[in-house]
Amino acid sequence: MLEVLTNPNKFFEARMKGEESLKIPVLIVLISGIIGGISAFLTSSMMMEAMTKTLPPEAQGVMSFMPIGSAIGAVIASFIIWLIIAAIFFGISCIFKGEGKFKRTLEFVGYGYIPTIIGGLISAVLLYNFVSTVQIPMITDPTKIKEVITPLMKSPMMLLSSAIGVLFMLWSANIWVFGLKHARNLSAKNALITVAIPVAAYILFSVYQMGVM
Amino acid sequence: MRQTLPSFLFLFLLIFAIAFAIPSVSAYDGISGLGTEEQESSIMIAGYQVSPEVLMRNDVGTVTVTVKNMESDKSVNIKDARMLSRDIKVLSDSYFNIGRLGPGESLNLTFTIKAICPDGIYYPRILVDGEDAQNIRYSIPVTVDSSSLTIGVKDIPVDIFKEERARIELAVGNPKQNTVTAVKIVTEEKEVIPSEVFVGALSADESKVASFNFTPHNKGVHILNFKLEFKNGDNYHSTDLSVPLNVTESKKSAELILTGIEVEPLLGMSLYKITGDINNAGLKEAKSVVMKVDDAEGIEAMHPYKAYFVGLLSADDFSSFELDVKVGENETQVPLVIEYKDEDGILFSKTEYISIERSGGMTSSGELPVSMIVVLVVIAIVVLGLIAYSWKKR
Repeated sequence: MLEVLTNPNKFFEARMKGEESLKIPVLIVLISGIIGGISAFLTSSMMMEAMTKTLPPEAQGVMSFMPIGSAIGAVIASFIIWLIIAAIFFGISCIFKGEGKFKRTLEFVGYGYIPTIIGGLISAVLLYNFVSTVQIPMITDPTKIKEVITPLMKSPMMLLSSAIGVLFMLWSANIWVFGLKHARNLSAKNALITVAIPVAAYILFSVYQMGVM
Repeated sequence: MRQTLPSFLFLFLLIFAIAFAIPSVSAYDGISGLGTEEQESSIMIAGYQVSPEVLMRNDVGTVTVTVKNMESDKSVNIKDARMLSRDIKVLSDSYFNIGRLGPGESLNLTFTIKAICPDGIYYPRILVDGEDAQNIRYSIPVTVDSSSLTIGVKDIPVDIFKEERARIELAVGNPKQNTVTAVKIVTEEKEVIPSEVFVGALSADESKVASFNFTPHNKGVHILNFKLEFKNGDNYHSTDLSVPLNVTESKKSAELILTGIEVEPLLGMSLYKITGDINNAGLKEAKSVVMKVDDAEGIEAMHPYKAYFVGLLSADDFSSFELDVKVGENETQVPLVIEYKDEDGILFSKTEYISIERSGGMTSSGELPVSMIVVLVVIAIVVLGLIAYSWKKR
């Protein structure tokens, strides 16, 4: 399994000889989703603590489930995003006259989630450290939510976590390039373009979000 | 023989006539004091009054003499009356052509005098000239005594404390021989009430007490100035009194001190939570204790704890508090105001300064610490290195 990280070309070349199997990719995506869920849980908890005073008492009880909901949502979202990413790659590769089944593409995209597990773990640790040490200010005026939350999200620790996420996203993108190359029988260049377009868009969007908030 | 008898008889009658012709010496009747009066005067000084009874130096007073016609069946024409003195200055003019005084009638003549002389007893003379009557020369004793009233501290507390009322009693005495009037003690001290005590008349050898309340607002040496004013006749006089007092902090008052102060950054940026304990190390309870952040440039109190109400803090008691504050980048101290009231409702206020140390994993500008930057760089090197390696292996 480590070979997918160090020599993805050789790994996918060997995988092409066998039948498509989604067992391991599902497991990888699930683990990545769980880790993402932990981060979502921590972030939601921080928001909840700050916004408690702005909510009416009857809403506070309901909103206490928000962190758990966020975590579950993150797990589910990871599978949906996996499908979406695979579909985008499959669609773009059609432009380059790619050949191969969607299932294979889905399988190989799943393997590309391994770096996000590592990156997610590091980000979760950083986020946990940040949330446990910083004092969350109480918001009593709903109109001041953005004024208080923005510094939280733009705090250096949060930005560091996002930066690490971007780095590991690049690593995943590298694995996807080789995966698409073999799954859709593309040249390296075309595979690179196929992956670069959506990934670059995503990274640019992430950077933009970090700057705007 | 016949010739000597008529001579002898004539001589006897002559002697007898001379004896009846000599008038009797008049008795000194009714004028006290000295009095150098002419024989058989039909007018006399029946009485006199000096006002005030005892003059102080430079006092203006009056001397009133009563001139009486002692004749029972004829009136007397009073031509003039004068007052002469070498020492006492006579301010008023002499009386001329006063008029006829009927039998048994009397007349008051007043002269204004000024005691320009040193203390002593002086005898200005009254001269009254009458027509068909003998002239009168009469000396009247006038006493000049410049001794003033005495004023001194009768009672003050042993200890005088800041913001506590102290009672000061002043005693006023009259060592003079006459009564003085309109005696009052005044002060312009803002911390002393009342500002004036009216004592009234003070008889000879009499003393009275006046009370004042002094509430100092600052500790240290205070000198209270009082002025004693009185009238001797129509003449105003005054005497000053200075009372030095030492004001100290009350040994029993509440004394609030802060302990266990902790400053926690909120978000690691400009918001801070200040927590700690407020302790009453004094002997009296402090009421309505409130902790709050003072107004200062670069300092802004924030919700939820802009101010913290502690309430009643008994002696030896303590309470926790917390305050939220936003501190500007250039500020390093936060002023905390501690307010409380004593049993009289007097408000006390004290300011303590809390230092802000910008740490907690962040530099003063809110950047990442070096260790985190190193971690990021290492991760970047590893990731990019593996990507490059995978392409090399392709």
